[in-house]
Amino acid sequence: MLSVAKVYKAQLQVILMTMLLMGCASARIQQSRTATTGMTTEESLVILSRTSYNERETEESFTDCLSDALSGGRTPIRLMSEAEFKDQLYPWFEPRTAPDSSDDLARLFAQPGVQQRIDENNVRYIAWIDGDTITTDRGGSFSCTVSTVGGGCFGVTYWEEDASYEAAIWDLQNLTTAGEISADASGTSYIAGLVLPIPIMARPGNAACKALALQLKEFLQAEG
Amino acid sequence: MAVMKLLISLLTLGLMISCTTNVQVEGSVPTPLVAKIPANVAVYYDENFKTFVHTEELDTEGTWIINLGEKNLEFFRNLSNAMFSSVTEVDSPELTPEQQVQFDGLIIPTIDEYGFLTPKIGVLPFYSVSIRYQVLVLGKQNQRVAKYEVVGYGKSEGNSFTAGDAVGDATMLAIRDGGQQIAVELRHQPAIIEWLKQRNLD
Repeated sequence: MLSVAKVYKAQLQVILMTMLLMGCASARIQQSRTATTGMTTEESLVILSRTSYNERETEESFTDCLSDALSGGRTPIRLMSEAEFKDQLYPWFEPRTAPDSSDDLARLFAQPGVQQRIDENNVRYIAWIDGDTITTDRGGSFSCTVSTVGGGCFGVTYWEEDASYEAAIWDLQNLTTAGEISADASGTSYIAGLVLPIPIMARPGNAACKALALQLKEFLQAEG
Repeated sequence: MAVMKLLISLLTLGLMISCTTNVQVEGSVPTPLVAKIPANVAVYYDENFKTFVHTEELDTEGTWIINLGEKNLEFFRNLSNAMFSSVTEVDSPELTPEQQVQFDGLIIPTIDEYGFLTPKIGVLPFYSVSIRYQVLVLGKQNQRVAKYEVVGYGKSEGNSFTAGDAVGDATMLAIRDGGQQIAVELRHQPAIIEWLKQRNLD
């Protein structure tokens, strides 16, 4: 009887370990540089998300994660918040007026007060973030019940997510595109019901955020 | 029995209150970075514009009361001050003979329509808002110079627990979007260009 319990325990451990491993998400990074970069500690970066009027849009949680990762750590980058930047430069970074490419920067800087406002706030770079996380597959069966004698959850459900983001970095001093970095990650999350629900989350969006932040820091701080 | 009736009444009242979403629109009021139109204008805001409240009953989501008048007025006061050389608020939709001497024209912004969608009733997974504004520009003699219409649009992420905040945020974005179009595009309308030319204001 004891050996049967041991076998079940071992099987359970194998299943959980397998799910934990499958629950991880790793990110792939690609970078292209078109100009030299570098920034002083007084200069700032603004993270802006592309706003569109369709259903696909970069999640606020992603840009928040990116901002936290960039402004923390051993070599933090000085950030100006998106809301403050848009207020300071209203109405030129609203969905209808925001420049589509760095070629439009010269036209934008010709508007009264824009150049002065950028200089006052010492904004050197803009990173335009585009992309989102989508669920590509889901399945399994999971249910929870509660009764007068107790309750519990049984079954396994999973969902696969694909996170794909891109940062286009514009240099406001030289009015050019300095480069582009893309981060992709995918992973499968599970919830297993073994009386208590056990969630094993892959969080590919978070993996893409951390990887993109790390690469963005290197890109901006390394002279080259 | 009376206590029972009171309890039932309180319960009914509680349920009614819980099915009403009150939205108070909040947000920053940025000053537009635009060149001032060289005109000394009067601006008239009617009571509907100043105290605009949208009330709508949705089958699946109860009653919504969206109060945007205060923030909208604050936004437009700031907007008009940034757009024209000189702005004076007046309390009539027509210029008096004295005012006709004083001002180059009269600006009357109004809200024609407000609409919102929730993820439950719309096709997008967002809370979205649209506001149709009309800006009427009258000349010195109260003659119509231009009627300019814009639709401000805003959308915001949210879930059932933060629906009120999401609609409030989307409304603020719609006000910003409408304001942005007025600030940038009004001056380029042919009727406005002609009006400024006639007044030697361009």
